[in-house]
Amino acid sequence: MTQTVEPAIIIRGMNKFYGSFQALKNIDLTVEQGERIVICGPSGSGKSTLIRCINHLEAHQSGDIAVLGTPLDNNIANIDEIRREVGMVFQHFNLFPHMTVLENCALAPMLVRKWPRAKAEEMAMQYLEKVKIPDQAEKFPGQLSGGQQQRVAIARSLSMQPKVLLFDEPTSALDPEMISEVLDVMVSLANDGMTMLCVTHEMGFARQVADRVIFMDEGEIIEQNPPEEFFGNPQNERTQQFLSQILGR
Amino acid sequence: MTGDMGRPSILAMLRTRYFSTLGNAILSIISFSILALITWKVLDWAVFSAVFSAANGPEACKAVDGACWAVIDARWRLILFGLYPHEEHWRSGLACGVVVLMTVLSCLPYFWNGRSISIIWIGGFLAFYFLMKGGIFGMPVVDEQRWGGLSLTVFIFLTTVLVGTPLSILLALLRRSELPWISGVTGIIIDSVRSLPLLTILFAFAVVLPFLLPDWASGDKLYRAILGSALFFAAYQAEIIRGGMQGVPKGQEEAAKSLGVRYRHRIQRILLPQAFKNALPATINQFVITFKETSLFIIIGFFEILASGNAAYGTGNWTFAFVEVYAFIALIYFAFVFSLSRYGAFLERRMDVGDQ
Repeated sequence: MTQTVEPAIIIRGMNKFYGSFQALKNIDLTVEQGERIVICGPSGSGKSTLIRCINHLEAHQSGDIAVLGTPLDNNIANIDEIRREVGMVFQHFNLFPHMTVLENCALAPMLVRKWPRAKAEEMAMQYLEKVKIPDQAEKFPGQLSGGQQQRVAIARSLSMQPKVLLFDEPTSALDPEMISEVLDVMVSLANDGMTMLCVTHEMGFARQVADRVIFMDEGEIIEQNPPEEFFGNPQNERTQQFLSQILGR
Repeated sequence: MTGDMGRPSILAMLRTRYFSTLGNAILSIISFSILALITWKVLDWAVFSAVFSAANGPEACKAVDGACWAVIDARWRLILFGLYPHEEHWRSGLACGVVVLMTVLSCLPYFWNGRSISIIWIGGFLAFYFLMKGGIFGMPVVDEQRWGGLSLTVFIFLTTVLVGTPLSILLALLRRSELPWISGVTGIIIDSVRSLPLLTILFAFAVVLPFLLPDWASGDKLYRAILGSALFFAAYQAEIIRGGMQGVPKGQEEAAKSLGVRYRHRIQRILLPQAFKNALPATINQFVITFKETSLFIIIGFFEILASGNAAYGTGNWTFAFVEVYAFIALIYFAFVFSLSRYGAFLERRMDVGDQ
């Protein structure tokens, strides 16, 4: 017997305002489980705001968002439920500087999932191995390089065993030589079947792993297509212009 | 310079630092002479020509030029214990010992977790209180009105800080509330308390409050005054903590939110530890000020250490020896405040672990 799997994320007619400025306009987006999506667009196009609305770091004013079947409304229990299942990786890592790498990773599972310390630390070590950094577990974030910090941040998100991962420009704050070590980890996550939404300008990554590339401009989704179509045959004029700028064609 | 020069000798160092030119040499010689003269005068007064024993009474002091430490020998119990009953002085002394022990214990990183610190402080405070007050284990009751000297100073300071610190965290959190009327009202409270002199607050709480409150609610004068002092401390400390919170990047809270960590734990585990670290130098400053401000309790009739010091030279035949009494009290203040600031420096170094 077959069972239809519910989508990971459903967004319907969502609008987001900052005062009188409309940051997101009538967004419709459905993300299937296991789908890997790359969101790109010029700065100020609302792409970060979009993924920050999904885990309610920003509140939307109208429209509906549902994550893994849970509606995102003002009910705090629902917000907590969604945040437990949706991880996020930030541009500036946002590691907790007063805790060791291991404590960074074990904290949320202990506080939120109520795991005993031993279990939380054991799982955290597994994810630190996954991001190839287990030997740094006892160090503090300030003692690591940017690339290492971002990998710890990914391990910290994974330690909550989320079903969806949001990436908010994860490589934009890194020195060029450290970008690939972070992208490698993201590629391996994608290959494991993680549902991912990545705001990034790494078009090579988009080509390699994305099921769908979304282009946003001025708070709207302008175009979305599989990468071959998106890069090979962009439909909208603004998409063409953006791609020519970013790819230097 | 290259090559193996080794460390310069002390003589060479003296020469380059103090005697490099003729002018510098003259200045150095004059300064060193003045320094030596002052040192000699102070030593001579405080040690060589001083009288230490009160065995021969005040008369022995009048025969010499030096300090009359005999007054301390004769009156140290009054200075340290105030009007506390003579045969119970061991309790007051032990209570101060408990405080010292409690402070030392809570300075040890081994005990730096919420549970240990709470047990040490609440246990220590209760031990202090019951030693002083009595009424259990066959110890006679000694009313707060008869507490005095160093143990009263320590009690006022500790209670102010113990009550004021949680209050200040609460005020700081309310002040950054997203609801404008909560943050607004908290802001007005903080600003009002800060714009009043501590003296006025103490006076109002000790003397005026009983007229406004029913008898059952007004409590002992000492506790009302300490409550006022704690409120004053909290108003300043709240702003210090709020400043520390503003130094914590917004991304910290967002990261914790994205992991599903709830408000209470975000505050406890992420925001406050980092805010405290940022606020540490100003916090130590506030503690030092608060310790010294306990002397204002003299105004509302409490025999804290300064008042009992006044009494020590003010009665009987020792009236000429006030300098020695004040020097002794200054030394006690110095010991407390200096330890406090050294401990603060230790904390800062320790908290720097992991920073780059």
